[in-house]
Amino acid sequence: MASHDRPRVTAERTDKDLQREKRKIDEYRSLVERIETRVAEGGSEADVLDLTSDLLSRNPEYYTVWNHRRRLLLRYLEGGDTSNDASVDPNNKQASPQDYLLDDLRFLIPLLQQFPKCYWVWNYRLWILEQIERYLPRQQADSCWQRELDLVAKMLARDERNFHGWAYRRIIVDQLERLAQEAVHGEEGAGQGSRSQEEFDYTTKMIHSKLSNFSAWHYRSKLIPRILDEQEADDTARRKVLDDELDLIQNALIDPNDQSLWFYHQSLMYTIAPDCPRDSAIVLTLTNTDRVHYYEQEISRIREILEDWDDCKWVYQALLKYAAEYQTLDAGSKVYSNTDMRTWLSKLRQLDPLRSGRWDDLEKHLDLST
Amino acid sequence: MSLVAGPGRGGATQATESVPLVMDKHIKYIQDLNERKDEYEYWLTEHLRLNGIYWGLTALHLLRHPDALPRAEVLDFVIDCMHENGGFGAAKGHDPHMLYTVSAVQVLATLDAFDEFNQQVGDGTNKVGHFISNLQVREGVDAGTFAGDEFGETDTRFLYGALNALSLLGMLPLVDVPLAVEHIQKCQNSDGAYGLRPGGESHAGQVFTCVGALAIAGRLDLVDRDRLGEWLSERQLPNGGLNGRPEKREDVCYSWWVLTSLAMIERLHWIDGQKLIDFILGCQDPDIGGISDRPGNMVDVFHTLFGIAGLSLLKHPGLEEVDPVYCMPKLVTSKFLTGTTTKS
Repeated sequence: MASHDRPRVTAERTDKDLQREKRKIDEYRSLVERIETRVAEGGSEADVLDLTSDLLSRNPEYYTVWNHRRRLLLRYLEGGDTSNDASVDPNNKQASPQDYLLDDLRFLIPLLQQFPKCYWVWNYRLWILEQIERYLPRQQADSCWQRELDLVAKMLARDERNFHGWAYRRIIVDQLERLAQEAVHGEEGAGQGSRSQEEFDYTTKMIHSKLSNFSAWHYRSKLIPRILDEQEADDTARRKVLDDELDLIQNALIDPNDQSLWFYHQSLMYTIAPDCPRDSAIVLTLTNTDRVHYYEQEISRIREILEDWDDCKWVYQALLKYAAEYQTLDAGSKVYSNTDMRTWLSKLRQLDPLRSGRWDDLEKHLDLST
Repeated sequence: MSLVAGPGRGGATQATESVPLVMDKHIKYIQDLNERKDEYEYWLTEHLRLNGIYWGLTALHLLRHPDALPRAEVLDFVIDCMHENGGFGAAKGHDPHMLYTVSAVQVLATLDAFDEFNQQVGDGTNKVGHFISNLQVREGVDAGTFAGDEFGETDTRFLYGALNALSLLGMLPLVDVPLAVEHIQKCQNSDGAYGLRPGGESHAGQVFTCVGALAIAGRLDLVDRDRLGEWLSERQLPNGGLNGRPEKREDVCYSWWVLTSLAMIERLHWIDGQKLIDFILGCQDPDIGGISDRPGNMVDVFHTLFGIAGLSLLKHPGLEEVDPVYCMPKLVTSKFLTGTTTKS
């Protein structure tokens, strides 16, 4: 999209710079013109494809050229005998339409590496995979989809927060699950062909390599309820998962300055709320007594964090948030006093003045103003 | 008429402390974007040309210089981008796509040119409305959302754009708004924020598109305002700038998306507005005008608009009031949207 992370350059351009830039512009524009002319003529030769490869490697944002490429390929694919006839176009280099599709997957890899945030490249790749499924033998298509998981794992190893990468991963997983289900023709019940457990293990791996990976924590929060449903987990198993996750995040909170961790903790506490939607829930049979227990347990664990981190705003914030939620449970014996809450709020105001308007509202909400 | 959308040569590398808003420089910067055909970047960003016109024109309106671009040339350029099917491409000869069609409608609305457009292009606004409504997915798991073009990629950006443009055209009944709302709800996460598609990680850009679409649909009641407000307010970093997701760096464009979402849910006071003003002003290039993503980086018209719109929303003096839902001047949207839900 627009420019990000490019330092301002103040130096005036010399004549030499201007000439060099002019040559680059001329070359680029003549390439664009050649493509436009050939496309307008209805050219379907392999060299038009090569021209678009050249242009897209210089400028992958040129979405119309990706579309030219799609239309060219479709013409090959629909015009030719898809069984294995290489002679769709008499001038081509003996390449079959199938070869073009597989070549395109290879062509896109360096582009993804160079432009990992370009929507058009990711989308074009998905489109190619869909065509592979339509035009290539099933087994070949399956292994293409399968290999995408390795590719996206590599992309996420390079940048563990790449938003496109995570979105792409979810799409690929959906596709693999669909293929697996189609393969067994819907025998068995829910969860047949599910990859939830593998994906969950993947988030564990990513979190262990870097705790501050909100993308992985987020994905994990979506996977847990699904896995439990697919496994038809009983109450004991569900309660164990909730306890294990709370332990995991409490251990991670050894450094409480990372907001990713607090958001994950918050998402677990959200599953305890009486109004938590069924598809986000972990334990399905929570009583009010259970809820009070979890709030008391977590509030006291968070208070322990204070012993080492009395200057971390997140700790006070979490205490106040959970205290407010705890109050709605009509808890009889409080594990903290109003004085505690006033102290937390005044520390929070001191540590986080940016959000003072929010703390004003919180004070009113908790009825703490004196 | 075509404004270069990418970065260009820079002036001063770093704005000094507490710089004022250099209005005249910004106006000249935007006007000069049409004169930069000797830069490679100008050609590389042709796919953003029509968006660039929307960004530049809107910024100029907010800077109270609505006539700083030649109106007739702008209108000609926009009409040249239109295809027979009612969609617009990024520039003449580029394929039609939702992203550019929305920018075209926004520019036509800002120029108050729907009538002229219809005179020049028979049945123009109707064709545009149908191009957009035909992109709504009506069934299946993605029901309610919108594709960007005939190749079918879906994204809440397109859903928001569709409702934005159709409401300006007075053609919302062409689409199934409740179905779109249902889709948005599927994109909501337990942190109160929204992702690109159901299951996707919360992201400030998607919060803007989802909350903006709900505002247009008159369904802000579906937003968990406190929970979302908490997530959004944590985007502000100690330097005053806002990021788009936890543990990421600040950026002027994310600052706008977060800020406008906070405005829509009436939680603008949950961040420090003055510190954000100072951050945006510090991203100006005080010599050549324009605003960058972060202090000291290359400016571009995209960040220039979102910086100025942010300042407007924060009531910086000298600026026209911006409509947070549309990122257009309130004066313009109020003309087309009598009785709808936008709030400042």
